[in-house]
Amino acid sequence: MFRLSASRVWQLSHKLTAPLGARANSGTSPAPEKIEVFVDDQPVYVDPGTTVLQACAQVGIEIPRFCYHDRLSVAGNCRMCLVEVEKSVKPVAACAMPVMKGWRIKPNSEMSRKAREGVMEFLLMNHPLDCPICDQGGECDLQDQSMAFGSDRSRFVDNQFTGKRAVQDKNVGPLIKTIMTRCIHCTRCIRFASEIAGVDDLGTTGRGGSMEVGTYIEKMFASELSGNIIDLCPVGALTSKPYAFTSRPWETRKTESVDILDASASSNIVVSTRGGEVMRILPRLHEDINEEWISDKTRFAYDGLKRQRLTVPMVKSEEGNLVPSDWQEALQKVAIQLNTVDGSEIAAIAGGLADAEALVSLKDFLNRLGSETLCTEEVFPMDASGTDLRSNYLLNTSISGVEEADLVLLVGTNPRFEAPLFNARLRKNWIHNDLEVAMVGSKVDLTFDYEHLGDSVDILQELASGKHPFSQKLSSAKRPMVVVGSGALQREDGAAIHSALTSISQKLRAGSDSSDWKVLNVLHRVASQVAALDLGYQAGVDAIRANPPKVLYLLGADEGTITREDLPADCFIVYQGHHGDAGAIMRMSVLPGAAYTEKDATYINTEGRAQQTKLAVSPPGYAREDWKIIRALSEVSGQTLPYDDIRDLMHRLTQVSPNLTRYGEVEEANFFAQAHSLAQLVKTKFSKDPLTPKQTTLKDFYMTDSISRASRTMAKCIQAVSKK
Amino acid sequence: MANSIGAVSRRFFETIRVNGGIRGCCWKLLRGEDLRIGTLIGEDRYGNRYYQNNNYFVARHRWVEYRKDRYWDFDASLVPPEWHRWLHLMTDEPPTTAPLIDRKFIWKEHEENLSGTKRQYVPSTTTRPKIEEWIPPKQS
Amino acid sequence: MLTSNPRYFAGIIFGVVWYFEFATNIAQARQLRNFHGSPAVASEQLVVHKDTPENNPNTPFEFSQENMKRVKDIIAIYPIGHEAAAVIPVLDLAQRQEGWVSLTAMNKVAEILQMPKMRVYEVATFYTMFNREPVGKYHVQICTTTPCMLRGSDGIKDTLIRKLGIKVGETTKDKLFTLSEVECLGACVNAPMVQINDFYYEDLEVKDMDEILDDLKAGKKPKPGPRNGRFASEPLGGLTSLTRTPKPPEFGVRDDL
Repeated sequence: MFRLSASRVWQLSHKLTAPLGARANSGTSPAPEKIEVFVDDQPVYVDPGTTVLQACAQVGIEIPRFCYHDRLSVAGNCRMCLVEVEKSVKPVAACAMPVMKGWRIKPNSEMSRKAREGVMEFLLMNHPLDCPICDQGGECDLQDQSMAFGSDRSRFVDNQFTGKRAVQDKNVGPLIKTIMTRCIHCTRCIRFASEIAGVDDLGTTGRGGSMEVGTYIEKMFASELSGNIIDLCPVGALTSKPYAFTSRPWETRKTESVDILDASASSNIVVSTRGGEVMRILPRLHEDINEEWISDKTRFAYDGLKRQRLTVPMVKSEEGNLVPSDWQEALQKVAIQLNTVDGSEIAAIAGGLADAEALVSLKDFLNRLGSETLCTEEVFPMDASGTDLRSNYLLNTSISGVEEADLVLLVGTNPRFEAPLFNARLRKNWIHNDLEVAMVGSKVDLTFDYEHLGDSVDILQELASGKHPFSQKLSSAKRPMVVVGSGALQREDGAAIHSALTSISQKLRAGSDSSDWKVLNVLHRVASQVAALDLGYQAGVDAIRANPPKVLYLLGADEGTITREDLPADCFIVYQGHHGDAGAIMRMSVLPGAAYTEKDATYINTEGRAQQTKLAVSPPGYAREDWKIIRALSEVSGQTLPYDDIRDLMHRLTQVSPNLTRYGEVEEANFFAQAHSLAQLVKTKFSKDPLTPKQTTLKDFYMTDSISRASRTMAKCIQAVSKK
Repeated sequence: MANSIGAVSRRFFETIRVNGGIRGCCWKLLRGEDLRIGTLIGEDRYGNRYYQNNNYFVARHRWVEYRKDRYWDFDASLVPPEWHRWLHLMTDEPPTTAPLIDRKFIWKEHEENLSGTKRQYVPSTTTRPKIEEWIPPKQS
Repeated sequence: MLTSNPRYFAGIIFGVVWYFEFATNIAQARQLRNFHGSPAVASEQLVVHKDTPENNPNTPFEFSQENMKRVKDIIAIYPIGHEAAAVIPVLDLAQRQEGWVSLTAMNKVAEILQMPKMRVYEVATFYTMFNREPVGKYHVQICTTTPCMLRGSDGIKDTLIRKLGIKVGETTKDKLFTLSEVECLGACVNAPMVQINDFYYEDLEVKDMDEILDDLKAGKKPKPGPRNGRFASEPLGGLTSLTRTPKPPEFGVRDDL
């Protein structure tokens, strides 16, 4: 906050003195002239203010660095990026020095090489030689760069170890292991904590030779993005505690996949596996979703994939216990039940982790049996246009679109824990572009300042009618965003809230400076919701409550929205999923499915972007991919589905909704005007309850689904946070 | 010439006779690979019989006929150690004339090698399973 | 078996003992250069916080009313939004009030200046003049950097240690004196010197040091400054330059100018 509040004040004062904001300016003033510099006598034209390091990067020359990072502020304290510039007496720090016209940069000259060698020698002087027992070994910047740029011989003669610098290890919680003697003081972790995570817990204490990076007092680094400092650390000072001493980076097989635990964002990840076991999860660069960060749940909940798993089909024995069985018996039992009851007495509930393939095959199957009652566990108001218009339930502005916004109104959501990377975007925009944020709902810590309008729903009505004092600001915004949490829409007056927001958004859309600027955004909390709604599932289980079925098919529905009490005693419940969570206990039949690292499956994130997870390990035991189970069941019950492999199934997905297989692309939605006029028909009244998101503190963040609930690491996190 | 033909045919009938006639020869050829004439040196307490005939060249001059109740299921590990040393020419004294010194580390009951059978020894695993299964709670 | 031979075993033990006793010494004697040149100093404080009975998150601290007013005045010097710039003077104020800066004092400063606690800890640990552990009523800081050392600071230090009965970095039982060894305090002309709280006592000899300590123990306030009678850092035997009235500005300038 130290640096940030200062920069913010500068921006504020800047704004006061110059009524035209920076954004307005950039459109009118001519593009600044490019200046010419030479890198190794190669001319390159760069914008003024470009640093030497960036200029070199433009011609493909990478300058070694430790402290410099693209997404963090420049520190310039590692000195590794020293390069020679002609006519400069001393080498300059490339990461911090802006280029001047006509500079001749010599990144490979004798002086540059000697400078690097010298810096490297100083760094290694006090760095322990413990690479063989260091978890960073093999992916260590210091290791790599000492091979590439270090001297080929050592002047270190202190073989009796009379004193390398030694630093006490810090305890910063159950996720990050610190070996502070290895620290080279690049301060990347400190800058990440204060700039991206917004939790100023880390800093440097002491000075000179006794400087230490740490927290001064012993405390947990309590952030939902804390794991990223493990990736940022160029040496082995910060490593992953759950991953410690389990595998080496060169032993693992990397699978580029997509995460689903991080609720709606679907961060891109790399799953590292060894011997059929997920060893760890790392982020993968995706500028429009997660940049290069992932949340702690994404990164550390993988041990949940190895616990509480369903590995064999189970059927209920005569004593009423679930006993292991085989596929034939289990499928036959389910098929008999499905065939003996009328189609209208069959229902299905899809849980938050179900993939599009399983969703479409289950829907096709039950439709063939004559059932239309397919619901999602997550509620969404079905009044007025409900889920018929896609624009009603998408994060229409898209996650990267946040960076263009100038005002965000959050309604009944806590993005920090519901979508940590969306919140990181908000914070980024808040720091760099002077974004204004307002909140209707409980007061929560978002890591940045916002205007709290109150937690009563009536405020929305006042905003819609323009009576609220904030309406003035709202309507003057050029690119406003209204973000409503799916939690707020699950209240009884969800439809009324949605309708009020639709009219606010429609009004704001007219005032925005771009005709295709979308205002209304819904932030979902589970990964399957958008795909399920795209495929025509009903949101919410009211239909099942109203008309209790004889056979209920649960596709990974673990949240317990329907309990045994809601159903008739003779109801036959089938559970298909990968974890023996709360959901699997009451069931008559359990069919073991695959988790997201064990199948090629399609997920649509909250902005409507189709992405595919990839098979990294095979499903454990007799578990199979979910759509295959449904396909096999359909064959046993005599209603064979017409797809035999994943390609046929994708074809079917494309038939139903082409956006489901356009991987990587955001399928935009429109029809806001129509949605608005339909929303006028909503008659639901506002309730008096305050708008409170489910996840208000860090403690609520760690366990939200069946995988993270099975994770020991997440349990430890909750313990550590509660102790604090 | 006729003399040698006579000698061979004599040996042939002698061999068949010693090995228990046509029936016995068929039995022995089913279990083993040839028919031999030799002196019975002894029989161990499991029923394996040990023969010797110094007319055969060295290393083939001592052999064992495995116990009959094992039919085709036999291998060299059926031979107990005291006969093993005689059979493998470590000593010329068979255990019938020079019994093994009784030492406390020699097992009293010889056991054959059980590898590859259902009774083979399997060490218990010391690694944790990669996947922990869900165990459904018991009702009542 | 080789290792079961007792003679062989004894040989191993002898070898190991020899290695540690002698071989290491030889190797050390041969060592050309010691890269890490800053030995641990006893008076140096830890740069991480450890809870102690007198310094923990529950230690009471509150600015006195008078000091609170000063804090407001200090903050007012800096522009709005830059309150954090006042962290050093406000921490100093806290130290003047309590004699040292406790963890709670730092937290209080962070709260007043609306900055993250860690940023205050950074400042407080960076500057060695902030005492993060309790010190005695008189904080005796003896300079032992080269000029003072050449002028006999070792003797002064020995006197202090002998007279106070404590080692460097310790506090006397009666909480009257804390002794620390510091680097150059910038009074090299008047070496050797000690700083006691805010005052410099310079040009010391062992008897001066005795006297000062006796005075302090008796509750008197010894006069700060040079002890050998000179004023500030003027030469002891009177001025050797600037003894006459300086020439006027026009001295030696051509008449026609």
